[in-house]
Amino acid sequence: MPAITLYGAEKNYGGNAANAVSNLDLEIDDGEFMCLLGPSGCGKTTTLRMIAGLEHLSDGRIAVGERVVDCVSSGTFVSPEKRGMGLVFQSYALWPHMTVERNTDFGLRLRKVPRAEREARVARVMETLGIEKYRDRYPSQLSGGQQQRVALARMLAVNPDVLLLDEPLSNLDARLRLEMRAELKRLHEEFRTTIVFVTHDQWEAMTLATSIAVMNEGTLQQRGTPNDIYDRPANRFVAEFVGSPPINIIEMAAGSPLAASARTYFTRHFPALDGIGSVGMRPEALAIAATAEDVPSGAFGEEATVSGVLPTGGSWIIELQCKGAKLFLTTHLAPHVEDGDGVQVYIRPEALHVFDDQGNRHGKADDMLGTGAGAKARKTVQPMHA
Amino acid sequence: MGSRLMSVVGTPVGRGAVPGFWRRLRYRARISMREPTTLLGILVALLFAYLIIVPIASLLVDAGRVQFGDERRIGAAPGEWTLYYISRALFSPVAGNLFWAPLFNTLSVAIGAITISLAIGGPLAWLVSRTDMFARRWFATALIVPFMLPAWTFALAWTTLFKNRSVGGQLGWFEAMGFAPPDWLAYGQVPITIILALNYIPFFILLFGNALRRFDSQLEDSARMLGARSSTVAFRIIGPMMLPALMSAIILAFAKCIGEFGVPYVLGLPVNYDLLATGLYRSISSRQTGVAAVLAAAIMLIGVISLLIDARLVREARKFVTVGAKGAMSRKSALGPLRVPATAFAALIFLVSVGLPLLTLSLSTIMRVPANFAWSNFTLDYWIGTDLETVALRTGILLSPSLWSAAWNTLTIVGTASICSGLLGLLVGYVVVRTPVRPLAGFLRQVTFLPYLVPGIAFAAAYLSLFAVQRGPIPALYGTAAILLLALVADQMPYASRAGISAMMQLGKDPEEAAQISGAGWLRRMAWIVVPVQKGALVTGILLPFISGIKGLSLFVILAVPATDVLTTYSLRLVDYNYTQAANAVVLIIAAIAYFGTLLAQKLTKTNLADGLGT
Repeated sequence: MPAITLYGAEKNYGGNAANAVSNLDLEIDDGEFMCLLGPSGCGKTTTLRMIAGLEHLSDGRIAVGERVVDCVSSGTFVSPEKRGMGLVFQSYALWPHMTVERNTDFGLRLRKVPRAEREARVARVMETLGIEKYRDRYPSQLSGGQQQRVALARMLAVNPDVLLLDEPLSNLDARLRLEMRAELKRLHEEFRTTIVFVTHDQWEAMTLATSIAVMNEGTLQQRGTPNDIYDRPANRFVAEFVGSPPINIIEMAAGSPLAASARTYFTRHFPALDGIGSVGMRPEALAIAATAEDVPSGAFGEEATVSGVLPTGGSWIIELQCKGAKLFLTTHLAPHVEDGDGVQVYIRPEALHVFDDQGNRHGKADDMLGTGAGAKARKTVQPMHA
Repeated sequence: MGSRLMSVVGTPVGRGAVPGFWRRLRYRARISMREPTTLLGILVALLFAYLIIVPIASLLVDAGRVQFGDERRIGAAPGEWTLYYISRALFSPVAGNLFWAPLFNTLSVAIGAITISLAIGGPLAWLVSRTDMFARRWFATALIVPFMLPAWTFALAWTTLFKNRSVGGQLGWFEAMGFAPPDWLAYGQVPITIILALNYIPFFILLFGNALRRFDSQLEDSARMLGARSSTVAFRIIGPMMLPALMSAIILAFAKCIGEFGVPYVLGLPVNYDLLATGLYRSISSRQTGVAAVLAAAIMLIGVISLLIDARLVREARKFVTVGAKGAMSRKSALGPLRVPATAFAALIFLVSVGLPLLTLSLSTIMRVPANFAWSNFTLDYWIGTDLETVALRTGILLSPSLWSAAWNTLTIVGTASICSGLLGLLVGYVVVRTPVRPLAGFLRQVTFLPYLVPGIAFAAAYLSLFAVQRGPIPALYGTAAILLLALVADQMPYASRAGISAMMQLGKDPEEAAQISGAGWLRRMAWIVVPVQKGALVTGILLPFISGIKGLSLFVILAVPATDVLTTYSLRLVDYNYTQAANAVVLIIAAIAYFGTLLAQKLTKTNLADGLGT
């Protein structure tokens, strides 16, 4: 039983503007921690607000459980206050004229929950989130992280079936963000609420979600587990959006020396493979070897020159010039190369991401190259010095 | 997945079956009407259409139709269309007196006043915002005091000093000391220009100063780094960027000048020096409704044109604002040896524009004979005396029941109107920000702003034109407090609605949506979230219109009758009767209320007048 179903959901803000969301089909299962991931302006927040009922649809339908809450063709619209969801805003939207306690028990008061129970529930939520000592303070007297907890507490107090979070961590500093991430994950496990989380931060999505929906320009690009999204990106957009430094792409149509070299490689090793539009190589899937002999057989290797070694603390980004193209490589082992060194860069075939002319994942290539075994495939890559 | 979706959603309409136009419309209508916001918005829109658009339309129609009493002269029945008034006002032998001379006077006064205030206010703006002048902060507040006081306060101070024997009543101080000021110095163009100029200096300090303050020093520095000389920086960088703000200040001052009534009434009428506003007043008091309508339309037209130009400039200025918003630096220039003379200049302007006028007025209320500074000449009789040897007003002003009834009228009429407009303003703000029906929001925004384009005197004429006689179910309202109330509310709407809109914008949707998500319906959200959060904005939205209403003159002078006398009209009548001391005392009372009210409003909202003007 999915908790939320969007069917052909569409949002247009009128005028000649492009759809904010187009023809979106999405199921969010009960108890799932679903991340809507995408660049700013991709329609993820609009989607969240449509689920909440704060935006109405231009077309399509939304159901929560069995109940249709918004449907253009039948004219159904259940207002936000009757949907029984919780929403934590990016700005937190705490009521400035109420104390932390009043902010938190607002929903319970509305529901006319008896005083004793109300106080017990508020106390429990505040304790869980560690804000009980601020109960008599006003929002303006709290730090960003504390405000964020109050915003969360306010929604958790009414124990909603669905909790919607709109980039709630984006206004926090790095350390708090890490803490709150862990806290969210813990809360999800504790309350077993269905959570829909909007973010443009891929790490947030990767670390938190049980399932990620990647959106771009109002359309759904891919929906899958975090590993699916990273290891089997459905198209170029997903491949390039997720991952940092970004995936290295070879445009086959560009006719560059590197593309020609790749073409030679495919013709020799996979003669039956055609319709390759582009090839993606994750920076951490690239490896370097001292000489051509050290490149494992079957791997795609090329000569390259090191043009930069950038330590990022615990790992390194190596910038390479390879046949006129720039490649990024990441490694957790201290590299023994420096600027100007000539090296061999290579990648195993199962780590290649092949896309067709339309930029979609090349299914046949996956089968032939043995790609997409996911994390397993990556683990089997052998260290370069072996 | 598809089949599962079907079973969940239930209805058999597939994705391919796009709902028809009507179904969409029905869905949209249902969404729009789900909450009372839109319904309320429509009601408010209708109210303002009646209070703002209809009077203006009625006035314009008056200019083109035969008025009662003119049927024989024009040779047509009342109500028929005619060009008579337009041709009378613009082309007849009396057109010179009726329209062209006042127009010419208005323009020359406006240009003169603006030139002077620009020449003084521009440098002052720079001094108080970008230099290390002594007591800079103090001057920044002190120099804008004239803005908080009614302009004709200064006109009265002028007559107290310069009045000559051309007019009866108490002499001016100079006349009393044996020096007879010539007419050109006592009345007419020169004093009107000077008084208005002094009154508009704060405009430049506020608007131009604000722009200067926001100017990022780094832009200047960049030019310097590239080798530009100070003069190049001034002309090529600062000048062009400041131009829109400067033009905007000029045009706002001009628009204000066009509708100015009190100053030309006090200083122009004795020598028949008419501006458009006083000309309009004359036409109305001599019952030339048609010609008055033409004059009012002309004033309106000038107001509309100048504000359209201003809107354009503001848009132009906005293009500049985004540049270098991050890490902007505002550095104060060191004046060096000019520090003392610059401070002296600011002090002189303060003395002339605030100190002297208020001192003169205050002294005049406690002196029996003008300009006699002997101890025996001073008395508090005009404030609290009894059994005075005057014809009317035999007690000091504070003991006169007329003052208290005028004060009471002011408080009730202006107060009620301000509370109404404050609440309506917040409601307009709410609807404009929240309604999904965008055209409604646009209409409300514009209709409530419309009175801003119409100078008060023309607006009063419009109300007179509409409500002087019974129309439909609405009885004739002239002579009642109701007409003043309605006109005041309409007149204050531009400020009230802007305050409401910006307050609601600042609040944003989030807090209310958070309450909605928590399960609060519309009424709950209003009572628990919106109104409590907007308490401060509501207080300002009431207090500021109240202050401007108290010192306002042009609406009352046309719409008030003795029964609805307010402080301003009362003091003006005292001027007419030549009770100089009493008149000055009342004006001082008004000035004090306006000044301390503004301070109170600033204190309550922790804002500064200087910040609120930029919009």
